[in-house]
Amino acid sequence: MPRQTFEEVVLPHLDAAFNYARWLTRSDADAEDVVQDAYVRALRFFSSLRSDDARSWLLTIVRNTWYGRFSQARGANQTTIYDDMTHDRPDHGLDPEALVMQQQAIEKVQRAVQELPADFREVIVLRELEELSYREIAAVAGIPIGTVMSRLARARERLLAILEPSVARTGKRS
Amino acid sequence: MICLEARRLVDPFVDNELGPAASADLQAHLASCTTCRQLLADRDSLGRLVRHLPYYPASDQLRAKIVRISTRPRFNRRLLAWAAVLALAVSLGGSVEVARFARTRRVVETTASVADEVIGDHIRALRDAHLFDVRSSDQHTVKPWFLGKLDFSPPVEDLSSIGFPLLGGRLDHVAGQPVAALVYQRRLHPINMFIWPAGDPTAASDSRSIRGFQVRHWIRHGMSFWAVSDLNDAEFGEFVRALQR
Repeated sequence: MPRQTFEEVVLPHLDAAFNYARWLTRSDADAEDVVQDAYVRALRFFSSLRSDDARSWLLTIVRNTWYGRFSQARGANQTTIYDDMTHDRPDHGLDPEALVMQQQAIEKVQRAVQELPADFREVIVLRELEELSYREIAAVAGIPIGTVMSRLARARERLLAILEPSVARTGKRS
Repeated sequence: MICLEARRLVDPFVDNELGPAASADLQAHLASCTTCRQLLADRDSLGRLVRHLPYYPASDQLRAKIVRISTRPRFNRRLLAWAAVLALAVSLGGSVEVARFARTRRVVETTASVADEVIGDHIRALRDAHLFDVRSSDQHTVKPWFLGKLDFSPPVEDLSSIGFPLLGGRLDHVAGQPVAALVYQRRLHPINMFIWPAGDPTAASDSRSIRGFQVRHWIRHGMSFWAVSDLNDAEFGEFVRALQR
């Protein structure tokens, strides 16, 4: 098998690594530190990458790096400020009023996700933003598939409980 | 299907993780149950919102740093000094020496890095009180548990006869790869035994003490073994020798 280089295999997943780290740490600076550390580790262990799923492999390393560095010092349940909304991707097909309502709902959901415990937050991010399968999430988070399923369900129920009014406002309930 | 059952299937259904048969069952239930239909509608609404969450891409600055790490892994400033030494080695001993030198350096770094990681895993398992996914009284329940969870079969030994009962096993990760973790105990001191197919550029054996934790590493029958504990040197040595026999 022709061996691909680290650059070819792992570098393309930088955005995924940063997004995941950013959601875990809730800070740009911390996320950058975690990603840098993770890449140094990934490079060191590249020769032992056995699966062909480099993204999950890298995300696992990101998670372990974050866990080792931050979960103890900061507390995984800490809630922090969430800053700019500059990376939003609103639907442009909506009329202005609906757009504002959707924007408000998105901001609310962002706040709600930020405030979820890390265990719940990460399954939501891996599933909804990275679109990983349950199997891949299980590998990244180091938990059984059944746990992935129950955490997703509980995370969504918590979000819905918080969001109930805005979900209603978007006119999509019932 | 009853609502309780349907409720459990709604998430895998919206995530496309439900098989066709179960999906059909669920849909049949939804057709006749407004409560569960509402549940699904709520999930859909939430899904639409959540997928608009910010996706944070890496900044150009970070990307530049990572590209530097990725493409010139072995040439940072610190390594220039090593390069000078290598150049000397070339003139003295030729390329074989150089290759050996570079390899030795890498082995030293990797071994230290794995040692740090297994200690981190050990501490985390203790702190989260998540030492094992499968509880055991002997190796015959632990070994089969790993089947299908790992692409290798870790050797599982029962050492209760010499006072190191096997408590259980779990999956863990070292360097981003899934590994088998076996948990033994001596009195109140848990021992984590990490096992995976040898392949990392680590030393063939290693012994160190970091922050009060003992780490022993060896390679045997193509498997890499890393034992971690806060047990004293003598008893930990006894454990390691028993496994190496």
